[in-house]
Parts: sequence; structure tokens; C-alpha cells
Amino acid sequence: MMESQIWFISGAFLLILGSIATVTGPGVKDPIIRTLNTEVAAVGISLILLTYNHTLALLTYIAASVIVSMILLRLIVRLDEMGVEL
Amino acid sequence: MIAATFVPEYTASIFLPALYVGLITGFIALFGISIQKNDLDVLILTDIIGLSMLVIVSAVGTDLAEALILPGLVVELAEIMAISELLLTREMRKLEKDGPLLPNTFKLDMEILNTAPNFIAIILVLYGVFLTGFTGGAIAGAGILFYAISKKSKGLNINIFDGIAGISGIAWTLWIIGFLTFFIVPQYWLLSLLLAAFGILIKVALKMGLIGIMNREEIKKE
Repeated sequence: MMESQIWFISGAFLLILGSIATVTGPGVKDPIIRTLNTEVAAVGISLILLTYNHTLALLTYIAASVIVSMILLRLIVRLDEMGVEL
Repeated sequence: MIAATFVPEYTASIFLPALYVGLITGFIALFGISIQKNDLDVLILTDIIGLSMLVIVSAVGTDLAEALILPGLVVELAEIMAISELLLTREMRKLEKDGPLLPNTFKLDMEILNTAPNFIAIILVLYGVFLTGFTGGAIAGAGILFYAISKKSKGLNINIFDGIAGISGIAWTLWIIGFLTFFIVPQYWLLSLLLAAFGILIKVALKMGLIGIMNREEIKKE
């Protein structure tokens, strides 16, 4: 049972670690680093979806998370270009 | 135990841990939102709250969970897109500046910039049509959007978005007709299945055309 449970446990660990890192991790004053920290949690949730055999959900989540980080990075760069204090 | 007859025993055995993981993640993210002052940081933390929703839904472990995750993801995506536009527009109004929606144009004279976008867009659209349904629509739409953005960033004029919104509306009615046929005349289930599948393929693919329409409206304003 350990073989299949290790995926769930490591996924849950990465998810909680990633959310803590996003809230109060090293260097979260910079929004870009905060956005990149969410990727740790994204890997965690991918492992959890893998445990449940949710193939379609996993594929769609990978696509959606790429688009979300693209939107966030574009927003940060545009705000930075306009000279807004972040 | 009724759950064990519908879902695998292993899935039922990790239901409670998964629920707790989702709740802990949501709690951490909400705590982070409550101590933040900056709107941009709050938007990034909203992403984490979406993740905790995904864990709780996927803990159900049946096909129902998979069917519920897809709309949840799309709603989260639309929400983040809308709020990011809102933040940008507010800052633009404050500073009284304006700018294009898509990336700025740049001039580069490379052979690969002429040939690669067409090839990648064709592959994506063909693969999306082969998949059909929701995922296929998303992939084909990504192909169309990729083509439009790569043409735009080379400085070319794109006016292909005029009819796209209308076709998207027609595809939506196809989807609804397919659903109605399911309930009214169930013996034509294959027809209604195909109507629904291709309707949602076209609709999701052409949703990406909306981004082009938004861009055109911004050009008109100037």
C-alpha cells in the first residue's frame, strides 16, 4: 500500500508547503517570486489528481495553470511598465 | 458503507486526509489574504484557494469529480483573467495612460517566425478537432490564439475576428439543441451526442476570438 500512498502523501506535502511558501515564503515581497511559488502547490495538486486517476482533469489543469501564470506574469510586467509600486 | 460500492476502496480510505489537506490549504490562503494590503498579492493568493477547491472536489474520486473539476478550472481561469483586467484598467485610469491588450509589436527578420506559427497552429487545431469536446476546444482555441498573437506581434493587421463571435453563438445553440434532444427524443442519442460534442468544440475554440475583439475595441478607441 505504501507504493500508491507515497504519491498522495508527497502531493499533500507539496500542496501545503507551496501554499505556505506563497503566503509567507522567502522573498514574497516581489510578486514574481510569489507567482513562481504557486507552482510548487501546482505540482502538489498534479500529484493528487494523479493518485485519483483523473486523467482529463490533470491535463486540463496543466493547461489552465500555464495560462494562469501567463496572465499573472503579464499583469505584473504591465503594472511594472506603467510605474506602479508593487 | 455505501461509498465502497461506488468508488474503489483505496479512494474511500484517503477521503478524510484529502478533505483535511484541502481545508488546511484553504485556511492558509485565506489567512494570507487577510493580512495582505496589496491587491496584486491578493489576486495571486486567490489561485491557491482554487487549488484547495480542486482537492476537495477530487476527493470524491468518481467520474462526477472529474466532471466537476473542468468547469471549476474554467471559472477560476475566467475569474483571474477578469480581475487582472480590472486591476490594469484601474491603474491605467489613475495614471491616465493607455496601451494595447496584446504584447507590443517587435520587428525581427527571421525565417522561423514566418513558418513556425502556421505549422504549430495547424497542428494544434487538427489535434483539437480530433479530440472533440471540451479539451479539444481548448486546444484548438489555443492554436487560433497562438496564430493571431504571432501575426500581431509581427505587426500585421488581423481582421479575422468579425464573424467568429457569430459562429460561436450558433455553436452554443447547437449544444443546447443537442441537450434538449437527449431529453425529448432519447432514441436519437447519437445525433445529440455529436451535436453537443462538436457544438462545444466550436464554441470553446472560438471563445479565444473574444480576446481579438477586445483588442480591436481598444484600437478603435484611439
